[in-house]
Amino acid sequence: MKILGLSCHYHDAAAALLVDGLPVAAVQEERLSRRKNDAAFPLASVEYCLDEAGLEPGDLDAVVFYERPMLKFDRVLTTLLRAFPRSYRAFPHAMKNMLGEKAWVRGIISSRLGVPGNKILFTEHHQAHAAAAFLTAPTDAAAILTADGVGEWATLTAGRGSKGAQGTTIALEREIRFPHSLGMLYSTFTAWLGFAVNEGEYKVMGLAAYGTPSMADAVRRLVPRTADGAFRLALDYFDFQGSTESSFSRRFVDLFGPPRRACDPIDLSSPAGRHYADCASSVQLVLEDILVDIARDLQRRTGLADLCFGGGVALNGVANARILRESGFERLFVPTSPGDAGCALGAALYADRIHFGNPALPFPDHGFFGPEVDGAALARIAGEDGLAVEALDDERLIARCVDELAAGKIIGWMDGRCEFGPRALGHRSLLAAPHDAAVRDRLNRDIKYREEFRPFAPVVPEEAADRYFELPPGGARLARFMSGVFPVRAEWRERLAAVTHVDGTARLQTLSRDFAPRLHALLEAYGERTGVPVLLNTSLNIAGDPIACSAAEGYSTFHRSGMDMLVAGGTLIRKRERASAPREEEYA
Amino acid sequence: MRALLKPVQRWVWGDAARRGLRLLRFSEVEADGGRDLVRAAELTSDPRLRKLYLRHAGDERRHADIFRTRALELLRAHPPAAGEAPQRDWLAPGERGLDDVEIGPGGDAPLLAFLHLSEANAARDFAVYRDAVGADDATRAVFERILRDEVFHMNYTKRELERVSPARAKGLIWRARLKRVWKAYLRFAVGLAGIIGGVILTLQYFILLPPFAWISKRAARREAQGWVELPADAGQDLRGQY
Repeated sequence: MKILGLSCHYHDAAAALLVDGLPVAAVQEERLSRRKNDAAFPLASVEYCLDEAGLEPGDLDAVVFYERPMLKFDRVLTTLLRAFPRSYRAFPHAMKNMLGEKAWVRGIISSRLGVPGNKILFTEHHQAHAAAAFLTAPTDAAAILTADGVGEWATLTAGRGSKGAQGTTIALEREIRFPHSLGMLYSTFTAWLGFAVNEGEYKVMGLAAYGTPSMADAVRRLVPRTADGAFRLALDYFDFQGSTESSFSRRFVDLFGPPRRACDPIDLSSPAGRHYADCASSVQLVLEDILVDIARDLQRRTGLADLCFGGGVALNGVANARILRESGFERLFVPTSPGDAGCALGAALYADRIHFGNPALPFPDHGFFGPEVDGAALARIAGEDGLAVEALDDERLIARCVDELAAGKIIGWMDGRCEFGPRALGHRSLLAAPHDAAVRDRLNRDIKYREEFRPFAPVVPEEAADRYFELPPGGARLARFMSGVFPVRAEWRERLAAVTHVDGTARLQTLSRDFAPRLHALLEAYGERTGVPVLLNTSLNIAGDPIACSAAEGYSTFHRSGMDMLVAGGTLIRKRERASAPREEEYA
Repeated sequence: MRALLKPVQRWVWGDAARRGLRLLRFSEVEADGGRDLVRAAELTSDPRLRKLYLRHAGDERRHADIFRTRALELLRAHPPAAGEAPQRDWLAPGERGLDDVEIGPGGDAPLLAFLHLSEANAARDFAVYRDAVGADDATRAVFERILRDEVFHMNYTKRELERVSPARAKGLIWRARLKRVWKAYLRFAVGLAGIIGGVILTLQYFILLPPFAWISKRAARREAQGWVELPADAGQDLRGQY
């Protein structure tokens, strides 16, 4: 069967294509449109997926959308009614928004793709998250937990799944409903801290390490626990139910102080900066505590050893590590794309395995389902710009890269198909030496143009990870897709200064040879040269840009930043000492 | 038209906090414009244009930094009143004016025509803003510095347009001009429709919704908090949107 999954209209639109149960292609629209967090109907992604499989839309057996639009409309309308009359400004905005496009998804898919309406299916939002987490994980039976801002009504679900000869099941047994949402709690603090919602949550997590959770009791007043072990939001502190302008209320501001203006830098040496860091630390701690409690309860109820965790909250690597350590589960699986983009894949998998009842097949244990990079295209573009281009075999390429990395250079690394999900897992990465904090500062200043308090991640061969990082049982697996934050061993922190966060932790990636063979070989060679087979690995992009996907995008990132070299496949280019730009006088 | 708007511009730029917010918005617009040019550079097959677009994108990023730096200086010295937001773009448009650039493969000539027109308009607007900032020499210097780059941008887009499409250059500029007018009309029409729609929906909100709101609030009070147990067959049928 040929099944296309889609997610769009809110954030991170994506398409994913399954053919006979296996993923042929999956890509976020932003990687192709080059608009960060592009939420538009993912036409370019659909075209890519179909081209990759050599299909036409008419060949598809089903198109599966990742949520139920009318159920979502029901939630939006009900929320506005409950906030009457405070919601008088939000109501016209929400109605125009929903009725303009979002409520008519079947017709939109049908008209855009030319697929008959009876081939279009809808999963629930959290079913798609659950499927993306469970059906991509190498486990036959697992508890399932999903948590995000909100889907239709659910904001957090718990259940279990099984695969086997008797078929595949995903049973979401209970849920917590909007407006009570851990994702909304965290996003409210994200907004209050002056970061963009759905984008700046990473920054809150990074900032949290600089503070102490001195405001945790205040945060707990916002999210009291219920008698059954769940939680609710104390809605007096929030305004997202009835306002489009602010997610926090006057009472929230009375408790935590005025919000930070987005344009003001965070000065961690000032009392205000430290207060913001303390608040970030506090909400992080409270979020972790609740998630650990819920996961522990889920483990007790299911008695299972594995947990699959999906939804945007599963991007919180610090919380994931605590769940793994404290909940009683032996293994924790977080997919490469636990957020809404991953729902495109989850929706397609759910339809394939459960709606159509196709047998569960082992799912490729990686996230490389996007467009392939073309080294020849990079060679052509760089050659046209007069740069020296080298085509090297793997052995010489790796030797050259090791030389450059050891000399403190920063390398753009493009290899094979691009990642599905927000993490650069070694196919669209910036690599640098991990020992020098000056390299980290240079990356922040000259390449990533981002806040100083945000950490960089290390990548390490799986077999060597335990030597440098304190990994709990199951930690290496969680780190496969960079989904957990773990302590750097104290004796290595100085030699891993560029990737060790202020609290002594790192969001590492453990790399097995089969996952990314060329990068694995580079790590081994770098280890032989320096004694430490660890590299700094961050996404190949500049602040505000999506991760580079094609060779042309890699080249433009290389050109605009302080990167020293760019590798695509076996092609290597490096900057000239002095770049030749067109002269203004020519155009006077 | 610009002469008629001069008093409005003096009002917009007269207040330091408003000036800061305006410059901050310009910074975002310049950064967006830079990203559009990067995309154009990634898609063009013309190596000369690639270099020029990347150079232009670098200028836009620099402009974004300059505007932002000055905006922050102004806002630190003159914090805006609570709730004060940047003015709408139509009051003092930035570099791309009221238009969106459409970047697609194989479209260098129309893009150059669009950019040329946009840069020319931006240069004229920035000259007006420079004159409207009164005694704020630092902000005036910002505009003067950026205006120098605008001249280069105007010139290169024109010359390159004449190179890549010598026969159609003038026609393309006219077409870009008409497209700009059409887009301005569309924006106006959508804005007007939005206002009318907003009024009708607000009236419906206050006239039709109160009884439903009352029922909904009553139902909310009866809802249990915490976990909601789900039936075993919940969400199994994928055919419906509900």
